[in-house]
Amino acid sequence: MERYIFAFPSVTIAIKAQAVLRRKGISADVIRTPKSLAVGCGYSVSAAADPGVVAELLEAEGITPRAIGKPR
Amino acid sequence: MINFDNSATTFPKPYPVRRAVNEALTRYGGNPGRSGHELSIKTAEAVYAARKKAADFFGAQTENVVFTSNCTHALNLAIKGVMNGEGHIIISNLEHNSAARPVYALSKHGCTFDIADATADDDTVAANFERLIRPSTKAIVCTLGSNVTGRITPYKKLGEICRRHNICFIADGAQACGVLDIKLPDGINILCTAGHKSLYGPSGTGLLISDGKFPITPLMEGGTGSTSLELAQPDFLPDSLESGTVNTMGIIGLCAGIGFVSANGVERIFAHETELCRQLIDGLRPFERVKIYRGKGAYLPIVSFNVDGMTSNELATELSRRGFALRGGLHCSGLAHKAIGTAPEGTVRFSPSVFSTPQQVRLLIGEIGSMRNS
Repeated sequence: MERYIFAFPSVTIAIKAQAVLRRKGISADVIRTPKSLAVGCGYSVSAAADPGVVAELLEAEGITPRAIGKPR
Repeated sequence: MINFDNSATTFPKPYPVRRAVNEALTRYGGNPGRSGHELSIKTAEAVYAARKKAADFFGAQTENVVFTSNCTHALNLAIKGVMNGEGHIIISNLEHNSAARPVYALSKHGCTFDIADATADDDTVAANFERLIRPSTKAIVCTLGSNVTGRITPYKKLGEICRRHNICFIADGAQACGVLDIKLPDGINILCTAGHKSLYGPSGTGLLISDGKFPITPLMEGGTGSTSLELAQPDFLPDSLESGTVNTMGIIGLCAGIGFVSANGVERIFAHETELCRQLIDGLRPFERVKIYRGKGAYLPIVSFNVDGMTSNELATELSRRGFALRGGLHCSGLAHKAIGTAPEGTVRFSPSVFSTPQQVRLLIGEIGSMRNS
């Protein structure tokens, strides 16, 4: 499964998102937000799942990614 | 030394807390939320686990849990952050200086305040607060239970009053959290508490937990590990109120403390400590010179008393000499002592913990009985 990057405003939200996805059996890791998604400090989740499915799962928990993209 | 001064800070700490702090010192050495390397991420995950533990325990969203250095820090953040330099605020006459002093300080810089009598019955106390509400009132600040007498305030009624008037209810849970089942949905907008008292965490830990309804202007700005190219402080919790490196070791210890309280059960802890207070009150009642400061209503497991002919500090010093730690004086609560008529000398305060035993209370009663003044 191809990996996608989901950017969040803080490490707290990123880890919360990681926990949501792992509970659903999705491989997810917290990483530094790559330059391609946002400038400055920030944290993202790298997840091996369809981005639409991930966004839907996170939305259900009140979490909205600031940006979604592919790793370079 | 037998410790009956657990309202100041609980001691001893449970084994899981000591183990967790030791593990934090040896395994979680990264700076959480500041780097992308494994040491930092692992530490951030441990801090997050503590945040989630506190959120679940108090019925909040994880990101709305802010770690502070103590309850005073949390109350200053909440009170000054909600008032933001203007408006009217109401406190009770049972407040600790951690709430009363920030409010008084605000009154020197554009805010106004009133003090409601919280020593009457619950309905009267609620009416006392509501009567003081004005169009400019932005917040009610009230302790959930007095640190002097243990009197539990009608906080659910106050939460309902605040909801009806659309004002913020800031609750001081320093003495109540860990012995009462406190949840934000009880009507509390911002809960402030200590981590090192009945949550059994290490010193230097506290919590501010918001329901997110009232914005809190930061008292401090600085590094948060987020939105770093912007000069403006982040506007989202917890980053907006958590500038600078957090107390990782304390937070991980606090997580274990909350776990310890959950495993033992708040209701069981309350029942155990309340029974020890009943034992003390029954044991001291026959002593003619002992005065106990308890009225009707519900109480936290705290007992304030005095022995006629001795100041509270003389009594506490004598008890210390005999191997018992109890706190004499004003307990940083001048308002409360004025309210119950014990200012300026104060009282001696008995506050057991989950580790206190009936045998220890029997020994204390015996020592007080053996004093020639009692």
